[in-house]
Amino acid sequence: MTPALLGNLSVSLALAFSLLGLGLALLAYLQGDGRFLRGARALVLPAFLAALAAFLALEWALLAHDFSLAYVARNHSTKDPLWVTLVTPWAALEGSLLLWGLLQTLYTLLASRKPLDPWRASLVLAVLFGIQAFFFGVMATIASPFETLPDPPPDGVGPNPLLQNHWMMAVHPVLMYLGFVGLSVPYAYAVAAMVARRYQTWVEETRWWTLIAWGFLTAGKVAGMWWSYEVLGWGGYWAWDPVENASFIPWLLATAFLHTAFVQQTRGAFKTWNFAFVTLAFAATVLGTFLTRSGVIQSVHAFAEGPVGPAFLGFFLLATGLGLGLLSRVSREVRDTALFHPLSREGALLLGAFFFAGWALVVVLGTFYPLLVEAFTGAKVSVGAPFFNQVSAPLGAGILLLMGVGPLLPWRRARREVLRNLLVLLLALALGTLFGLLRGYALGASFALGLFLYNAAAIYLLAREGVLARVRAGLSPWGFLANRRRVGSLVVHFAVALMGLAIAFSQTYRLESEKTLYRGEAWEVGGVRMTFQGVRALDEGRRFAVEALLGTDRFGEVRPRLHFYPQMNSPLPAPEVIYTPGNDYYFLLMDFDREKGEWASIRLIVTPLVFWIWVAGALMALGTLYILWPAGRAEEARGVSPA
Amino acid sequence: MRWVVLLLAFLLPALAQEAPPPDLSPEVFRIARELRCPVCQGESAAESNSGVAAEMRRIIAEMLQEGKTEEEIKAFFVERYGEWILYAPPRRGVTLWVWVLPVLGLLLLGLGLFAYFRPKPLPKELLEEAERRLKEPPR
Repeated sequence: MTPALLGNLSVSLALAFSLLGLGLALLAYLQGDGRFLRGARALVLPAFLAALAAFLALEWALLAHDFSLAYVARNHSTKDPLWVTLVTPWAALEGSLLLWGLLQTLYTLLASRKPLDPWRASLVLAVLFGIQAFFFGVMATIASPFETLPDPPPDGVGPNPLLQNHWMMAVHPVLMYLGFVGLSVPYAYAVAAMVARRYQTWVEETRWWTLIAWGFLTAGKVAGMWWSYEVLGWGGYWAWDPVENASFIPWLLATAFLHTAFVQQTRGAFKTWNFAFVTLAFAATVLGTFLTRSGVIQSVHAFAEGPVGPAFLGFFLLATGLGLGLLSRVSREVRDTALFHPLSREGALLLGAFFFAGWALVVVLGTFYPLLVEAFTGAKVSVGAPFFNQVSAPLGAGILLLMGVGPLLPWRRARREVLRNLLVLLLALALGTLFGLLRGYALGASFALGLFLYNAAAIYLLAREGVLARVRAGLSPWGFLANRRRVGSLVVHFAVALMGLAIAFSQTYRLESEKTLYRGEAWEVGGVRMTFQGVRALDEGRRFAVEALLGTDRFGEVRPRLHFYPQMNSPLPAPEVIYTPGNDYYFLLMDFDREKGEWASIRLIVTPLVFWIWVAGALMALGTLYILWPAGRAEEARGVSPA
Repeated sequence: MRWVVLLLAFLLPALAQEAPPPDLSPEVFRIARELRCPVCQGESAAESNSGVAAEMRRIIAEMLQEGKTEEEIKAFFVERYGEWILYAPPRRGVTLWVWVLPVLGLLLLGLGLFAYFRPKPLPKELLEEAERRLKEPPR
């Protein structure tokens, strides 16, 4: 038994089980026969076990340095530390697909344990098996992780050094995939709902899945931002490059869906929007994979070179067509009949969802525009950060405005007593903005400060209202914490407001300078005084490091590094970042005297409030966890309208 | 001096190192961030560590010292590389549409929203039903 044999066998088995399950689930629905459904259900666990065996086979091949596998030869080296070896399965395309497939089978396993009427159960299984069949089909045919080489090399080059530079890279892709795959469950339920024509209950049944997916997507995005900040050595966390956009689009659409689904759970409205948003959110994960993995970003003409691009594009069209096609068939039946005023909680939620969807549209346009121009005219154009920042600022501000006022508005229509709250909010907004302007901040940054105070005031009012209502009813004020959805969403909303503030300030104010220092020379910049004391070299086996020794007046000795990897022709800077609640100080070694170590080129980037971006990210994850915490579900199940 | 030898073994086909890189003011980075590094994947001339980007930063610093304006510096790079070098697509010609389309898309979404909120008349059969019930003698 070799890893290649086990792997190929397991992938084939996973594909066979998925296809068989798909067939049985469809038969169960068409024939209305429970025996077929039992058969399909029985295949869920074997498919998961086969996927797990395939994944373990890849780990085995890596740990055993089996360079007869092309994937191992391309992405692994005997010099890699153990943790790098263990996370190498998701260092490149084929292994990432395998991880994705494994997580998909795991989620199918978990989702299939939920009791559901046989019609919808067979349809949900059919969709999930279909998605699995696509992934294992791609692995079995055009992107196999277990492809063998006729003459294996004695050693490989290891994964891309950028991925070995930081432990975050072990975490970020897994979180991202957990989020992407999580969206497949609500999508499957939505398809089942539209085919079986039972439109109401699916949002409540998949609420946990939606939240889990959203939580993982958010955590994954923040982890990716942090990795970019710590590893890529440019002092930023977001560059609007296509790879970032590819995962931002599903996040935006999932956020829109989360909010409209909330309305359907509590009010029974917005069915159409939910079917549309969940389809687009799931399809966007596939589109993102197409964008990042087909080579189409480098050049339109790279698209046809690898077979993976067309496969994902086809799958994207299929998923979108299925969801939207079914929606157009049932659109007459899911139309909203309940009337509500635009100035109501439904109105604010819907408008917010439109902002998110509009933002997704803008990001899609900006990302694909260069491809379209190149495809039609052959000209190369760039659409970069300046464009995205300009179009995103008003959308983000609109979302922050709605986020404060929305939860304070009552359902259906605004009543008079809300006006007082609105005045308080507007006062906070005006005061914050004015304070910023008086401190001499730029208009955008001042407005961001105003928006932060406005949201903080809104959250205070909501919490106060919740607590006071309990006190008036003679209950313990702590009982407010038992309303998990309310409290958790307040935490997440506060985190979003905080992140908005941190992003506005860190994007507006950023001091970046570079200077060549000779030994003993001092440099005063950005409020720091540093003295260059020399360079030191270290041999770390798989790489070679050079560090500059800088004595600073505020942070003691700081040692930014350059890492030289044998497989890269230019060195990678490894910054030393001093995190403080006010400013981050980001030290980089750019170049040094290779003959005598007499001089070094040092870059210092001082950025305000970046620290709070990571705090906000952690708060978002915690707030989501708080909502998901299994206690107190019964209380929230009330107020759900029957199907 | 052991590390020098090691380094030589490692990476120095080009032994003769040029003079140390020039000092770069925040202004240089501000302009370089608006320009694409021509040989990298999605990196600006401010971030990239490639030789081309370093050279671009050096040119920007020199031009600023000569008293050139930001527009003149950008024009210099556009002349060499075409408008593709600019990260902010110019609002004319083929890239005008990338600015117009988002606005159009948002307008369409807004129109859809407006139509959604407009009070819809009740279906005719419901109205007829209601009228019939009103006319019925109360039992």
